[in-house]
Amino acid sequence: MKKNFTDKSRRNDRIAEVLIRIGGVMVIISVVWILVMISQVALPLFYPASAKIAASVKLPATISNSKILAVGSGENQQGAYVLDDSGTFHFLTVPDGTLSASIKAPNIPLGAARVVSAEYTGKSDYNLLWDNGAISSVAVEMSSSRDAGGKVSLSHDVSARDELVFAAAGTVVHSFARLMEGQGTVRVDRLVGDRLRVTHQLVEKDFLGNEKRSNNSFEISDPLPGRLSAVAVDSKGHYLYAGTDTGWLLRWDISEPDQARLLDNIQVSVDRQAITSLALVLGDVSVAVGNAKGALSTWFPVKLAGSGEDRRLIRIHTLRPTGGQATVILPSPRSKTLITLDDKEIHADHMTSERNLLTIPLSTPIVKAALSPKGNSLCALDNAGMLKVWKLDIPHPEISFGTLFGKVWYEGYDKPEYAWQSSAANDDFEPKMSLVPLMFGTVKATLFAMMFAVPLAILAALYTSQFMSPKLKGRIKPLVEIMAAIPSVVIGFLAGLWLAPLIDKSILTVFLSIVLVPLLLLITIFFWKRIKINSLLQRLTRGQEFVAMIPLVVLGCYLAFLLSGIAEIHLFAGDFKQWLFSSLGVRYDQRNSIIIAIALGFAVIPIIFTIAEDAISNVPRNLTAASLALGASRWQTAWRVVLPSALPGVFSAVMIGFGRAIGETMIVLMATGNTPILSWSLFNGLRSLSANIAVEIPEAPVFSSLYRVLFLSAVLLFVFTFIINSVAEVLRQRFRKKYGRY
Amino acid sequence: MKKFWKTGEPYVLATGAALAIVLVMTITLIGTVVFNGFSYYWPKELVRFELKDGSYALGQIMQHEKNPINGDRRLQLKVANRDVFGQDFRWIDEKEITTRTLPADAMLLERREHGNFFGFLMGVTAEGLDFPAASTPNQKLELALKLVATKNQATRKIKDQMSDLNNRAERIRLKLLKLEYRDKEKNSSEIAELTVEREKAMADFNALNEQLIAARAGITSITAQFLDVTGAGKDIAVFDIVAHQYPNSMSFFAKCGAYLERVRELLLDDPRESNTEGGLFPAIFGTVMMVLLMSVFSLPFGVVAAIYLREYAKDGLLTRMVRIAVNNLAGVPSIVYGVFGLGFFVYGIGGSIDSMFFPERLPTPTFGTGGILWASLTLALLTVPVVIVATEESLASIPKGIREGSLALGATKYQTLTKILLPMATPGIMTGLILSMARAAGEVAPLMIVGVVKLAPALPFDGSFPFFHMDRKFMHLGFHIYDVGFQSPNVEAAKPMVYVTTMLLLAIVIVASSTAIYLRNRMRRKFTTSTF
Repeated sequence: MKKNFTDKSRRNDRIAEVLIRIGGVMVIISVVWILVMISQVALPLFYPASAKIAASVKLPATISNSKILAVGSGENQQGAYVLDDSGTFHFLTVPDGTLSASIKAPNIPLGAARVVSAEYTGKSDYNLLWDNGAISSVAVEMSSSRDAGGKVSLSHDVSARDELVFAAAGTVVHSFARLMEGQGTVRVDRLVGDRLRVTHQLVEKDFLGNEKRSNNSFEISDPLPGRLSAVAVDSKGHYLYAGTDTGWLLRWDISEPDQARLLDNIQVSVDRQAITSLALVLGDVSVAVGNAKGALSTWFPVKLAGSGEDRRLIRIHTLRPTGGQATVILPSPRSKTLITLDDKEIHADHMTSERNLLTIPLSTPIVKAALSPKGNSLCALDNAGMLKVWKLDIPHPEISFGTLFGKVWYEGYDKPEYAWQSSAANDDFEPKMSLVPLMFGTVKATLFAMMFAVPLAILAALYTSQFMSPKLKGRIKPLVEIMAAIPSVVIGFLAGLWLAPLIDKSILTVFLSIVLVPLLLLITIFFWKRIKINSLLQRLTRGQEFVAMIPLVVLGCYLAFLLSGIAEIHLFAGDFKQWLFSSLGVRYDQRNSIIIAIALGFAVIPIIFTIAEDAISNVPRNLTAASLALGASRWQTAWRVVLPSALPGVFSAVMIGFGRAIGETMIVLMATGNTPILSWSLFNGLRSLSANIAVEIPEAPVFSSLYRVLFLSAVLLFVFTFIINSVAEVLRQRFRKKYGRY
Repeated sequence: MKKFWKTGEPYVLATGAALAIVLVMTITLIGTVVFNGFSYYWPKELVRFELKDGSYALGQIMQHEKNPINGDRRLQLKVANRDVFGQDFRWIDEKEITTRTLPADAMLLERREHGNFFGFLMGVTAEGLDFPAASTPNQKLELALKLVATKNQATRKIKDQMSDLNNRAERIRLKLLKLEYRDKEKNSSEIAELTVEREKAMADFNALNEQLIAARAGITSITAQFLDVTGAGKDIAVFDIVAHQYPNSMSFFAKCGAYLERVRELLLDDPRESNTEGGLFPAIFGTVMMVLLMSVFSLPFGVVAAIYLREYAKDGLLTRMVRIAVNNLAGVPSIVYGVFGLGFFVYGIGGSIDSMFFPERLPTPTFGTGGILWASLTLALLTVPVVIVATEESLASIPKGIREGSLALGATKYQTLTKILLPMATPGIMTGLILSMARAAGEVAPLMIVGVVKLAPALPFDGSFPFFHMDRKFMHLGFHIYDVGFQSPNVEAAKPMVYVTTMLLLAIVIVASSTAIYLRNRMRRKFTTSTF
């Protein structure tokens, strides 16, 4: 029985020991795990893109013998089609390559026999140019469905789009047709002999609802600096771009029905290489230019200094050159990614990040290629009659170190900038995800807050620990600790809705009180010795001086408030904010950095105070006693003996406060306007990394680029605070070791 | 004087001033919250102003200030009647005022919608209610209110039945989903049965709903007629009146009564008007439940980790690393925990639970979205270091002799721990627990990401099986402050409510942390005075 009991005790002991050890180790693991986990979400941002060949099929002889004008594929790499010059779409199932259907384009214009060229206008729509000069438009539809047994069946259809039927005369090499919003249609023809013709078809409805169509046609008369080698039109039919074999890029405004206005005429490359391909990047702002040497660049119009309101094309991004002549540029329909083809390889690049995402080597040159409507598969026909389909996996093309931390020239901006704007209403928007303004905001908020908090906290800690009477100290310390427990949302609310409007009314009070409170203090010091004799203040002797300082502080702030009204009228023409704007050009935000400094400072004061006070109080008493015994005053002892000894501890307190301020979310969220700007101005708001996460993550789609970038900023915050806290902790442990033996 | 400077006395005063500034700031903060929070519910007089242009205004004076444009004194008047005037507040220049009176019959109505109404009661229309001949409008209103209250009781019963039926239908729907997902053929008989049952429940629901609409119509036909200060009439359904009072003719005790009634409403009722009026009960409940749930997770882990560090681990590199890790955990920004909670708990574990146990409900997430369970776990992680540090501190303060004594008497380490050390360390552990609860109650940033919402349709704990609904979203006092104060359409009108919420949260946190600090200080004293 007795033995049983001891055995059981021993067993319990061992089990407990194992369990407790496991528990302890779990803590370390969980810290590491947090970092691993959030990094794991952020890391795919930098994963390379990949392309997998999904099918490579030989076209049936009947098809490959005719001239192929276009190819295309569906979303799931399960179907592909080719268009031949009779206007027939042949649908193939891949990867087995059987011909499943051949559908002739509907609505063939009268007298047309053969298709000269086909223009892909996006979303599986084609404009077919017939040999009699007429254009018809068709839409290809491919869909797959899964039946109950799990078998996938494909269905396809070719339908006519009536709104874009357009007859014309003459021998046309290539043509573009666009619907112009509410103005009818526009057609651009490339005629034999390097001529460009623009035709507007205006549709007018009279009050009976009868449509009247009128055509207005003109040829572009501006002399071309070379032979025409590439032409492109934006999707709204407003601008016409042309490239020449001498490397000139031209841009016309063709939105007016009677004339084309030449806007730009520039040399693209120094070595006058021929422009071999032109394409508009998604969003129609930038144009991508490829030349005979394989150099690839994107351009968009920018308002230049000295050119007034006019915008001129400027080279914005230079992408990695391909090896050979860039024959085709395919803009992705979902992002600013560009697929470039030359004879030897397929290149995928992202415009904003200038990242070369992907290079697929080719054994045989490609004749025709197209991206699927969602941009996730690429279909190409080579000169041997093989139809190939690639599955593209391009996870986060717009993210690179350059876009996260560098200056980027975004569309619509006049110069490269650091910008954060993660989303907009339209899909073709260029996301701006620079972390620089956010990191700047974090640093700015933290620095201002520390400037406010550190002197107050450390001096107050010094006073509490060295000069205050022990009885009072027992009451004041818990008070400050309770202050540490005030939720940050409370501080943020008061800062945003109470303090900000208050300071807004009389901003000068803040500056004046910074001057007046110390001034009053000086005056008080001057009279202190005499005041002390006064019987009324006799009780405020050693260890309780701060009680007398409280009314002093209140009085100082009140005087500052009174004076600010007078100062504003006499010095700043009655309105300081107006003066600030007109003479210094500084805009005043109601929720500005002053509010942040005070609110965030207030939040970290108790943290710094508590740790610093502990450190100062832990300096062994015998040091103080020795110093005092040698005749030093209490200030000399505190300043020359105690504080230097406690310096590592005080420093660690500051570091911990710093770490807290960096990660503080609610205060920054509520007390600033959350504007991601780069400005050191005291009167502007800011947006910090942490507040940015809180603002944006509820709306970020899971595993999107934005979601991962926000995780990346969490990693940054974690690592940064980890380093600061570790340093502080090491300092503190060393400090403890030094004085632990007393 | 020179000696005075040399000894450094002035610098001592400067450090004193620093402390004074800190204290003044704290007192100002707490004072502002307490003043605004307490004064909001005190019935304020309704003042009627006659203006120089001959018009009248009735309302409560909110503040006086100098007009920034012409420098005259002006006052801000809460005129209420949002549905009539369009705005709750207006500014009146004091020189425009000719007379000011306190009409005894001016009435303040709190309504279910459109905020308060200030005006004068004229009469009550109620079909089938005979008023005693000589009754005043006020007596009529009281009678009508009573009638509406009894009628409302009946509708409430119908509503309860409806919500029961609704819950049942929803449960059957989920069951059906599951059966269909598993094997449609095999369970066809059961599916048919359940479908019939569900249809019956829905039919019952619809029948009840018609009853409810009829009953509602009967209630809303009882109206009271008011005149506002401009003399325009206004009919208000008696049902819409939450409270009414004559603030100008109330005695001090009547005002106290009204005040207490408002406090009761605050603590026990649901919010109205997108959280800017009414009570805070769901938010208080959500906060408390989340904090309790969090303690269930954080307390055992924290205590075990602290015991490991203090009693078992040898003072080596590993221990030092654990210490640093723990302190780092305490220093990691709370938003990072939120991000972790979202990625790991919500989408990671929650997503896995959904695909394993509730695949039939996808893509509607069950656990794969923010909820009280994930919020509690996230905050548990956030507050574990607090528990660890407090427990460790209290274990460390137990004199070595006690341990050695126990071991010398033949007790094993485990016995020493459970029989001697832990009972002695309990106050310290409690301190840590309370501190961690205070921290969790005030933390908002991570919660915004992992499950707090501005208005939760149901409490996370209720009478329907399985009682604790861990997957539900919840309301939280701290988030309530942020949401109402910064996201509501009419911030100016919502501000008083935010002050009240702030005061409540501050009170909870301050009471909790003072208790913890008191406990800790008492414990310190206890051990430092013992003579081991």
